[in-house]
Parts: sequence; structure tokens; C-alpha cells
Amino acid sequence: MEETKGFYDFCVPYNKDEKLLRAICNELVDLGYKTIAIEQVFDHSKKENVKRASDIFPEPINLKWLQDEFKNKLKILQRLTIIYMDVAVAHAMGNSMNLKKFNLVAGQPKTDAALTHCCTTFNGDLVTFDAQAGARLYVNRKAYQVAVKRGIFFEIKYSPLIVDTNFRKDIIKIAHNYFVRGKSKSIIISSGATNPFELRGPYDVANLSFIFGLSEDQGKCAIDRFCRQLFLRAESRRIGKTIMFVKSSGPIVFSDSSSSEHEEDEGMLNAEEKEDQEDVIKFPKSSDSEQESVDNDDEQPNKKKKLS
Amino acid sequence: MVRVKNRYIVVRIAPKNTSLSSLYVKEQVLAKCILNHVEKYYGVYGVGLLEHGFRVKYCNDRTKIAILRCSHHSYKFVTSILPLMTSVGDVPAKFNTIYTGATIMQCNKFIIKHQQNFLDRMVGQVVSAKERQEMIKRVIEFDTS
Repeated sequence: MEETKGFYDFCVPYNKDEKLLRAICNELVDLGYKTIAIEQVFDHSKKENVKRASDIFPEPINLKWLQDEFKNKLKILQRLTIIYMDVAVAHAMGNSMNLKKFNLVAGQPKTDAALTHCCTTFNGDLVTFDAQAGARLYVNRKAYQVAVKRGIFFEIKYSPLIVDTNFRKDIIKIAHNYFVRGKSKSIIISSGATNPFELRGPYDVANLSFIFGLSEDQGKCAIDRFCRQLFLRAESRRIGKTIMFVKSSGPIVFSDSSSSEHEEDEGMLNAEEKEDQEDVIKFPKSSDSEQESVDNDDEQPNKKKKLS
Repeated sequence: MVRVKNRYIVVRIAPKNTSLSSLYVKEQVLAKCILNHVEKYYGVYGVGLLEHGFRVKYCNDRTKIAILRCSHHSYKFVTSILPLMTSVGDVPAKFNTIYTGATIMQCNKFIIKHQQNFLDRMVGQVVSAKERQEMIKRVIEFDTS
């Protein structure tokens, strides 16, 4: 299981200007974030006359330099946001290889039909809204419940809130719609900031969630625990079903307490795998990388439990 | 006995222009600025609730740390609008909440710890000994006040 640490910011728009991107990352480190996702946007609705290429989605941008630079300070993920209007995107997503290279896939629907599709059958992890166009889209109760059950998360971006008064009203409206429809379940808050000045500290964001109608607990989870859940879900979608080997390199001591915890842990793993039933069962070559050699069998289950 | 419950919010004011070494904000200006913002977002009702017991207890120019006191049932109005503020007086700046406590003693303890952390990071970067002395003095000056 890959380790990630709180706090999370899952929306930092990609910028060609390396200097600016570096400045944003530095600010994020200062504020105490540990895991961030760089966002790339792909507009499906514009491209009506797409050439019949095998893959319409772009390759992820090479961010190796950035990842190397912030190696121990920040974990940098990559995320693709797909803006779309009709359901046709689902087919393209089904046989795309590039999509698997992204850590997170978010959908940004433009119409009501697309929004319902996004909540019910979309093969992504996150539903997001554009501050300008999304203001008139309201999720209905049923679609929202389905989305929560499927483990899809809804995103609220706070940086347009700081910049512009009109967006502020719209975003508060959207956020309260979630509250009315289903008590603001499964909501994460991310920045979407294009310059360092728009970033806020994690505790500020948790406090800000008060005006979104979230409770104190939900506000804190929105930048910490839910993001971890989202990451795990995204990872299971990306990898599909995999084989995991657990090797012991020392003598194993079985005690009552640890074995019961172990069972719980396995149950959780199974549940995770059940979520992506659409995924083809496959045995990737990279299963070696998933291999975890466990030195101390007593410690490991505890650790996993705490992280997830 | 039942006492009046307060919340103390410790904020760090981060000016947009990071090269600014000190920030001259008077306590009244800061208080007025926050009240204005509360009025902007929560209207007269918010200000009415907040004004009872709201006070800027401490504001340091050099370290840019301030302590705000609010009554226990209205502090959420302040904490939730702090991220939305983009200026203090006429200086563009953002607020960074670093601590919320129930007594001012806890806040003081936290600030001292915070400043020591800050010093540990910064002292290495200052070259001359005299500057270093001065910096330590002005960061720790909180203890005496």
C-alpha cells in the first residue's frame, strides 16, 4: 500500500511556468501539505471531429523534475480533469491506456445528463465543478446517493472563492446543495490556486468549510481522511486486481490480538477490490513492485489500519 | 462557578510582498478590518454577536503574529472568514490561522514554541553574528512583553 500523508491538496492546475509551479509547491510545503496533485485539463466537448486515434486522452506531462526536487517534502500525483457534455466519453475512457497513467481522474460535467452519468456510471474518482459554468448544475438526490455509494467524491475549490465575489455566491450555493441533498457526504476541498497568494493553510480550509455547511469533523476530513480514501480508490481503479505477496524475513510470532487485527485488515482489502468489478482481472508484470516484505508481522497490520 | 468562555485565535499575517520585514498594523486597524469583513459576509447579525467580547489582544509588527479574542459562541464567524480576507488596512496580505485556544496562557505557550521552531529554521540562513543576535532578540521579544 502506498503511503501518503496529510494534508492533501488534490487540485493544483498545471502551469507551463516552472518558476510559478515551484513557488506554489514551496508555499504548499510551508503551509504543511504533504500530498498534492497537479491537474491537467482535457476538454472532450470541444473536439467533435476527433480523429480516430486509439487514444484521445493526452499523455501525462513529465513532472519528474518537480518530483525529484520535492522528493522528501511533497508527494506529487497527477490528475486529469475531463470536461464533457455527452455520454460518448465513457466509450473512449474504456479503451484508453493513457488514462491509467494518471493517479486521479476527475469528471467535470457540463450538462444535466452528463452530471447524472458522472454520478452513476462514470469510471473516475472525482466530480468537480467549474466555477463559471457549473453554477446552474445541481445534483439530484438519487444521483448523489448513488455516487456516495460508489465511493465517488465531490470536489469544492476554494481559490475562486477568494478571488471573486460572484463565484463566492455560486460556490456557496453548490456546497449547500450537497448539504440539502445528502448532508454533505463525500466532499473534499482543494485549492485550484493559480498563484501562491491564493493558497491557504489546512486549518484555515477546515474553518472555511463552516460556510459550506460542513460540520467541523467533515471539514477536517475533507482535507485529510477523505482524500486518503479517494487516493486508495483511484489506485485500485488504476491497478485493477493484483496479486500481493507478503514475505517474512524473520520469525513470525502469532499472538491473539494481532491475528484478529489481521483478519480485519484483509476484509478491508477485499472490500476495496470489490469496488472495481468492471476492471478486467489481470496480473500485471509490475506485481513485484507491489510486493511488500514484512519484517515485523506484528507491526504491519497496525500501521495499515492507521493509515487508511 | 461558571465563567465567561472565550476563544483565542492565533493568526500569522503573511503580506503578499514577502520582502517586507515588518508590518505596521495597529490593533484598532486590525480589529476594524476584521469587523468589516464579518459585516460583509454575515451582516449585522454577525457583527452584533461578535462585538460582545471581540478584541485584538496582541499584535507584533516584527513577527506578524496576532491574537484575537472572541466569545465562545461567535468565534466561528471569525475563523471562517479569515481565509477570505486579502488585505489588512491597505496592505495586501493573507491570514494563516495557526492555533485556536481557550486560554491565553496556552496561546502564549504555543507562540513561544512556534517562534523557536521559526528561529531554528532561519538562524542558519543569517550570515553575520550581529544580525543573528538582533533577529533572535526580536523574535523572542514576546516573552518579555
